[in-house]
Order: sequence, then C-alpha cells, then structure tokens
Amino acid sequence: MSLNDKLKDLRTSGIDDAKRAERIQELNDLRVNLLGKKGPITKALRGMKDVPVDERPEMGTLANNVKKDIQAAIEEKMEELNRKIVAKKLEEETIDVTLPAQPKKYGTRHILNQTIEDIEEFFIGLGYRVDAGHEVEEDHYNFERLNIPQNHPARDMQDTFYLTDQLLMRTQTSAQEGRDMESHDFSKGPLKVISPGVVYRRDDDDATHSHQFHQIEGLVVDKNVSMADLKGTLEALCRHVFGAEREIRFRPSYFPFTEPSVEVDVSCFNCGGKGCRICKYTGWIEVLGAGLSHPNVLEMSGIDSTVYSGIAFGLGPERFAMLKYGVNDIRDFYSNDVRFLEQFKGVN
Amino acid sequence: MKISVNWLKEYIPVTHTVEEMANKISLTGIESSPVHNAEGLDKLVVGHITSISQHPDSDHLNITTVDVGEDDDIQIVCGAPNVANDQYVIVALHGAHLPEGKRIKKGKIRGQESNGMICGLDEIGVPTKYVPEAYHKGIYVFPEVVTPGTDALVALGLSDDMVDMDITPNRADTLGMRGAAWEIGATYDEKPKYTAPVIDEAKIVDSNDLAVDIENKELVPDFLVRTLKNVTVGESPLWMQRRLWNQNIQPVNNVIDAANYVMIEFGQPIQAYDLDKLQEKRITVRNAKSGEKFSTELNNQDDDENTNTILNKNDLVVAAGEQILGLAGVAGGISARVTNETKNVVLESAVYDGAAVRKAAQRHDLRGDASNRFEKGVDNGAVSDALVRATQLVDENAHASEISDELVGVGTEAKPTVIKSKISHINHLMGLDLTAEKIMSIFDRLGFTAELDNDDVTVTIPTRRWDMSIEADLVEEVIRIYGYENLKGTLPTGMETAGGYSPKREFSNKLRNILLGQGMNEVINFSLMNKKESEDFNVIDTNYTKLLHPMTEDHEYLRTSLIPGLVNNVAYNQARNNNDISIFEQARIFDRPDGVDRPNEIEYIAGAISGNIALDSWNTQSKQVDFYDVKGIVEELLSFTNIDANFEYRATNKISNLHPGQTAEIIADGQSIGFIGKLHPDYQKEHSIDETFVFELNVDTLFGMEKRNVQAKTAPKYPSISRDLAILVNKDIESGAIVKDIFDNGGKYLIDVNIFDVYQGVNIKANHKSLGYHLVFQNPEDTLTDDTVEKAFDVVKDSLVQKFNVEIR
Ligand SMILES: [Zn+2]
Repeated sequence: MSLNDKLKDLRTSGIDDAKRAERIQELNDLRVNLLGKKGPITKALRGMKDVPVDERPEMGTLANNVKKDIQAAIEEKMEELNRKIVAKKLEEETIDVTLPAQPKKYGTRHILNQTIEDIEEFFIGLGYRVDAGHEVEEDHYNFERLNIPQNHPARDMQDTFYLTDQLLMRTQTSAQEGRDMESHDFSKGPLKVISPGVVYRRDDDDATHSHQFHQIEGLVVDKNVSMADLKGTLEALCRHVFGAEREIRFRPSYFPFTEPSVEVDVSCFNCGGKGCRICKYTGWIEVLGAGLSHPNVLEMSGIDSTVYSGIAFGLGPERFAMLKYGVNDIRDFYSNDVRFLEQFKGVN
Repeated sequence: MKISVNWLKEYIPVTHTVEEMANKISLTGIESSPVHNAEGLDKLVVGHITSISQHPDSDHLNITTVDVGEDDDIQIVCGAPNVANDQYVIVALHGAHLPEGKRIKKGKIRGQESNGMICGLDEIGVPTKYVPEAYHKGIYVFPEVVTPGTDALVALGLSDDMVDMDITPNRADTLGMRGAAWEIGATYDEKPKYTAPVIDEAKIVDSNDLAVDIENKELVPDFLVRTLKNVTVGESPLWMQRRLWNQNIQPVNNVIDAANYVMIEFGQPIQAYDLDKLQEKRITVRNAKSGEKFSTELNNQDDDENTNTILNKNDLVVAAGEQILGLAGVAGGISARVTNETKNVVLESAVYDGAAVRKAAQRHDLRGDASNRFEKGVDNGAVSDALVRATQLVDENAHASEISDELVGVGTEAKPTVIKSKISHINHLMGLDLTAEKIMSIFDRLGFTAELDNDDVTVTIPTRRWDMSIEADLVEEVIRIYGYENLKGTLPTGMETAGGYSPKREFSNKLRNILLGQGMNEVINFSLMNKKESEDFNVIDTNYTKLLHPMTEDHEYLRTSLIPGLVNNVAYNQARNNNDISIFEQARIFDRPDGVDRPNEIEYIAGAISGNIALDSWNTQSKQVDFYDVKGIVEELLSFTNIDANFEYRATNKISNLHPGQTAEIIADGQSIGFIGKLHPDYQKEHSIDETFVFELNVDTLFGMEKRNVQAKTAPKYPSISRDLAILVNKDIESGAIVKDIFDNGGKYLIDVNIFDVYQGVNIKANHKSLGYHLVFQNPEDTLTDDTVEKAFDVVKDSLVQKFNVEIR
C-alpha cells in the first residue's frame, strides 16, 4: 500500500472513529492515538523516505491535511457531544412552571383610602392643600360658622352625636371651612384646600347608612372665583374619577353654607346616559353637593364678601366607591373581610 | 307637594308631559318627579242607580239597575249597606281592572245576573284614611249629578297627572299651588294668573262677638280671624273633595275642607273653630301651663279614642280662656271642632314662629301639613288674602248669613325685600357675561320688580319669596333660570399655589406603605366602640370620652386604641375561615386629659397578625406567626421613620389582655412610643380567635422625634474581619443587654453584632442558655489587622465575663 493510500485510509478510518464516538473520553483517546507522536500518521510519515523526493512535499501536505481533517472531525463530534450533555442537563433541570409561586404579598390599601387618595392627588395637582381637620369639633365650627344657627331646620337633616352641649362628632368635613378661612393669609394667594376625613351621624347602620363615613370637602376662596370655576373643577374631577367622556350637570339645591347651592350629577358611566339600573334610568347619577360660599360664612371668618368669593363642594368617598365598583352594602367597607378588601388590589 | 296638572292649568298654560315638566323643574329649581295616578285601572264609569230591589235570596244584597251611559241600563247586585235609588256611583263594568290586579267580570250572584260592581273609593285605590268618613263602610256616592258613563277616574280626579316637587327647606314658597305656579311659570316663562278672592260685601258686618288677644307677639307675628254666622255644614262639592284626597287630605265637611283647601292653594294653614263651643268669646295665643292636656285628632288617626297630649310651658296654644283650641301651628283640638251641627264658625289665619312650631311638633310627635309649612315659613303678605279665600269658600259652600270684618289679633306689615346689586357683580359670581337686559328679563319672569341704573340694579322681591334676602340669592335666581346647562366650566385662575399633604400626613403615608410592603392589608374601623372594648385596651391610661346620646351601646365610647377594632376584624375573618390574617389600621385615637371635655386626637398605627405567615405548600412548610415576625415588621417600620434614636424593646407584663411573657414596650431614647405583643390566651378565647400578635405605635410621637441627618459616605473599601463568640449565660439574661455590652466594649471598629444561635436544654447547664454571636469589625480608613481585632474581642469577652458571669465556650 502506498503512503498515499495509507494516509487516505487513516483519514477515512479516523473520521469514522470520531463520528462513532459516544463519549468525550473516546474522542480524547482518539486524538492521542491517531494524532499523537506515537500515532499511525506519525508512523506512516516515517515511510516518507521511500517516497521520491519530488513527491515528498505533496505527501507532506497530504499528511497535514489528513491530520487537520481528523482534528476537525474530532472537534465537531466534541461539540456535538457537549451540546448533548448540556441539553441533557437542561432537560434534567426542567421544572413545572405551573406549580404555585412562593407568595410575595404586597398588602391592599383599603378601597376607601384608595378612593380618597386618588381624589386627594387630583386636587394636589391643582394646587390644593390637604387639611384633615378635627373629628371632635365645636358646635360653633360644625354648625354656627356654616350659617346653621340653633333651631335652623337644616339641623334636622343631620342628627348629631354630641359629647357636651358645645362639643360634637363632626357631621360634615365642611366643619373645617371656618378654621381654614380664618387662618389663611390671603396676601400669600388664594385659599385652596380639601379636607378629607371621617364624619359621624346619628344613623342606624344598614345597607345604605353608616353612623361613621367619610367626606371630602373642597374650598377655594379668592377674589375671582365663580360658579363657572366650580363647574369646571367638578367636571375635571368627575372625568378623573369616572372617565374622560363624563359630562356633569348642576341642579339647584339648598345648603345653608352655600348660595347658590347645587347638586351635581355625572352622566352615567355604566350606560353612557342611555339609562340603566344604576342611574335609575335617568342617565345621570347624583354624586356631590356644591355651591358658592354663602356671604355669611365668608364674613364670619373675617373675609369681605364683596371682594372675595368662594367655591365649596363636598363629596362622599363611600358613594363614589359604591358607584364605581358596584358595592351594594356600605357595611362591607367596615367589616373588613379580607376577601372583600383584596379584590381592590391595585385599582387606584 | 304633588302639583296636579289640572289644577295648575287654572294659573298657567300647560302643554308638556309631566315627565318633561319634572325634568325641567328639577334642572331649574326643585327636584321633581312625574306621577301618573290610577295606572292600569279601566272601565270605571259613573253610574246612576235607576231602580233597586231586595235580592230574593239574600237579606243583605240588593239588585240595582244602573244607567252607565249606554242604551240599556245594566243590572248589578250590590251588597253595600248604603246603596239607594237615584245615587250617582262608581261602576266597574265587565272587564274592568281594579288595583292589585283585581278584575271585574259579569256573572251571577246567588242566581241573579250582575254585570259589574258598584265601588267604594278604597276599592279603586284611594287609601281608606283619605276617604270621607261617611263612605268608609260601603260604596262612594257622588255628592252631585254626574253624567252617567263619564269616566269615573276623571270625575274623581284620580287620573290627574301630577308633578311631585320634593322641596329643599328654603323653597317652602312652593308648598301652595299659587307659589308652585309661580315657580313652574318662571321655568316656562309664563306668568301665572290668579283671581283675587272676594267676600260677598253684602254679608259683611262689623262684629263684636269675638275678641282676639295675642300675648306673645314675638312668636305670633300675624293672627287674623273672621266669623261666619248661620252656616250649613255639609259635604263639600266634588271638585274640592277630589283635590283634597289627591293631596292626601280626608274631606270632612265644607268648613274644614275649605280651610284645608286654602292651605293647599295658598300654602297658608287655616284653622276653623265652632264659635258656639268657645267657653269664652275671647281667643288668645299663650304658653301652655305645664301639665295642661290637649286632645287632637292628628295623633290618633288609627285609634278610636282621642288621646291626650300633655303640654308643657314651652308649648304655644290657641285658647279660649282655659279651653285649649289647638296647639299653635301644629294641630287643631277637638274641643271646638266644626261638626255637622255647627252653626257659627271662626276661621283663623296666622303666622307662628317656625322654630317654636318645629320644636312643639317634634316634642309631641305631631308633625303634619300645617307644622311643615310654619316651620319652613309662610308668606306673611298672603295671610289676609288666604283668610278671605277661606271665608269665600265657606260662604259659597255653606252659605253664611253674615260675615265679620277681619279681626286682627296681631298684624305685621308685610314688606317686600329690596336687594341692591350690580349687573357686573352678578356676572362675576356666575362666571358669565350676560347683558343687563337678559338679567332684567329673568327678574321679570320671576315676578320681581327691578330697576336698572347703569350697572346698579335694585330688585324688589314680593313677599311670597321670603327665602330671598341677599345678592347671592339673586345670583342663584338668575343662573338657574338662565340655565346651569348654559354655564361653561372653567378652572380658577389666580396666583399659583403649592398643593400637597401636610408633613405629618406624608409621614403617616410612608408608614402605611411600609406595612403594605410587608403584605399587610389595610382596614378601616369605627371610632366609636362599646364600653368593654374601650376598657380592654386603654393602654395609654386616659379618660374615656362618651357620647351624650349614643344610638346603641355598641358605639358609645371614643376609641383609645386601635387594637380592639383589629381584634374584631381578626374574629370576623376567622369566623369566615379567613384564618391567616395580617392587617393594619392608621387612624386616630382619642386621649382626653384630666379636667377637659375635648379629647386630643392622636394618630396611631397598629397591626394584628394571626395564623400562618407561610403556608404548607408543595415546597414549603407552614409557619405560624411569632413575636419575632411581628418585631421584624415593627423594626423595619421604625427604621423607615428615619428617627435618630435607639429603639429598645422592654419586656412588660403590665398591659392587660396581652401575654405577660411575650410583650414588649417600645422605647425610643427613653420615650414610650408603643408596644408589641401577643394577645392573652384568655382574650383570644373570649374572641374565638387563633394566636394573634399585635403592635401599636404613636405616629404623632414618632413624627415629632428628631430625624437622622443623612450625609453620604462612600461604601467601605477595606475588608471586614469577623469573630464568632459562643457563651453560656444564665437564662434570664436578655440578649439585648449582652448585645449592648458587646457594642459598648467592642471599640470603634465593631460595626455589627448578629445573634446566630440561641440554645437551651439538653447538654446545657441548668438555668442557662447558650448564645452565639457573630461580630463584624471594619475600619473604613484602612485594612484592619487581626491583632487589633483580637484586642477588641478580648475586651468584649472580659466585660461579658465580669458583668454577666458568662462562660466563654
Ligand atoms: Zn345608566
């Protein structure tokens, strides 16, 4: 067999051996055995002396090519086996991703506080201060300063928890109006404030009444505020809370501390105004009361009502949340069943 | 008040449906809703009984023939005791629908053909209490001839469409048809037309058979009476009766009905008395004597007997000497009631102080149509007219022989209110730019007289709108008639203001966020609790604050701790199998110092954790909450307060209802800021809850404490060196004390001490425990040498041996 043929045979058998290898070790052995100093190629090259001189360079090249080819076959197989090993390992490590997670719970903020804070942040964006006020309040601020003297029929509407003759659980967050007005320095700009908080009424608790509930009072006093400003402000609020397509409407009403007074309806977010159960088939839902500050209320705080005017509004977070999320029983907010609370995860 | 469209048409043209009207009136002035009466009723006609005979097989049934406006009379068997020939009656024809789905069909009654039913008013939907007494047992008989075949519902006014106006207390001017017509007229730009009431001049005499003497003119600004002689009391004409029962007023007789009718028409309550029943011919209005008794029909409509109302000295009564005729403005008495036998009548038209009437009506639970009007106010410009109208109606229906002049007990001049304003200021407040002409036309529509002088406007308000007194009232009238829907919304302009939360609120928001981040759900509880709850956790040892008039014992005391509310929440949830609970509340507690009425309102934050904090799952084992879990939450919360203080957990057994061995008071630089602990097993049992850990912190105190002044330091470049320390120590020595001592002696490079082992039990000396600590040393400036650390470590060990008698292991 000529050297040429020998080398070609070695190439063929070497490549075949590499391809047949099943383990890395076999390939390593193959490399040592075939390509090493004691390997058959080296041995074969010792027969070079029998090759005519002019053919020797050709044989040298062939021998190198044979080595390269075998080397390449070994490397290719080596990669293939490595891929298989990794693949096997990956397969062994495969888990059932549908198994439950390790709980990493973030708590849920109470839905009333979510509702309140959403509204607070809306007004903060408009430059309103948030002033929570007192839950125990003087009759003076809760009633007198709001143009509701003793014997005023409006006191019938709100049966009050008194602590003493003069101290009571505030029945409305409007009670903060007098305090905000009298302490404000108008040389520093307009008074713009919202007063969120808990209020109390002598009511029996049932699906629609609670002896304790929340209100947010809003008040702006400046030289140049008007009913149009009130409408624009509440329009923006209702769109923020109930959706960008909402319209509002004003209906005349009566509150002792505002004149004119209005009830504010928002177009039904459920039916868009066509009429449904939620809006009692009117297309409108009553959401809050508002008005221009009564001149008496301004004057009692030492504000000249011929120069300044005020817009005031009061809304109920319970009512907002009940409407928005279809809560039918106000008591659900206060029984704090965690299943009830947790359904509001992330709504605001 | 329900406004009948038919009645309203006497004053203004009405062309809209009640739905349209109610909507428009709601948007312009007063919340209103449409009312359709007698819906679903049909085939009810007026019948004339043309013959009557006894039913052959019954002693209480009659066989009648009735002209119902058709070619032939129809035969109807009737069992009513008051049926008689020649009566005009309500007939339900074959196929008629009655209320509550009742259907009339022809048939035979004991063998006799009956082609319909003769009805009583209650059978066609008038509540019995508004049916005239005479027709309570039996059929209704029309008081006058009505063409047979006429729709009975129309003849009785029962199908009148109405608009129900639900007034706010300031709009009592619409509690009379005339005022309502003004309001609705202004809405539709229609001025109402009224016929002025008149009395037959020929009958007027200068009478002196009754004196009127009012003591308390403060509370009775107007008191007018007239007397009518030789009247014939009887049934009122149908037109009046039907308007009364449509107003939920029972027709009684033609005197009392006229008085009630004028109340509806004018909004002015009128009282009628039998002149001959007055024990003295002198009427007074005075305060009642304590214990005086008074009988009225108002308070016993469902009783057969009159009940006595015991009066007190704050009650104002209309009296004739000792005889009490009525509780002023609230209720007429029975002592001088006008009956069918009455010959001579006194009519009273008065104004009473609203607050006095309101209180009296409340005091005696006698609220009614009259008191409702007086407490909200009446038009004192119409007192005399209303009296003329009542007199006219009594005379027309009961035919007096003579009528007295108006006898004035007290009269107050009714002055129209004059309001001065500026067109520009009205526009300014509305945010509109209406022309003077437009605004003037609105005043005219409302029946106000206005004079314009450049920008100045002077508006004279008729007395019927006593709610109007200031410029803001004018603004309201202009804008509502102009239409709120025409107002374009704007936002307040003016100087920019920086809005935001108060710093304290920012602080409490931060604390709430930490607890949310720890997976705790936020709850909101009531501030008012029962006595036991408030006593259970009066940790701050304050005075209780109690309501004067609680609704229930459950909500009587202001809370002094948030814990009882949280415990209720745990109980509520665990009763519903929500067993693993982690909740917190941030709210106020009420701390009332000695000697003051007003409690301080202090912000607190509190939490409760019960059940497991980790659940049994495919790869984890459940873990029940323990003290250290809750302590971890509290520590993280406190670290986020950024307070520059050392927080110390001091074991306490002083807080009732907490476990004496698993409770710590939390101290910050000597100041108590709250506690953390396990509920006492007895307390848990009492509330049927699992093991529960709670904590409560005073947010106001935390907010007030000095905060760390953070100055950035680069992260240390040099490696740290650590040493482990194992000691054996008496089991009563607290780890906190040991750690403190290690820090005290570890030198300036000791930066951290962690406990990694606590062991007590087998292989440990009795009454001792083994503790393992990991100490970390670091020099931020340079590489520490083992030598330096070893020296510091020795000092630490020596001190522990000396102070705590520890064995170094
Ligand atoms: Zn709807």
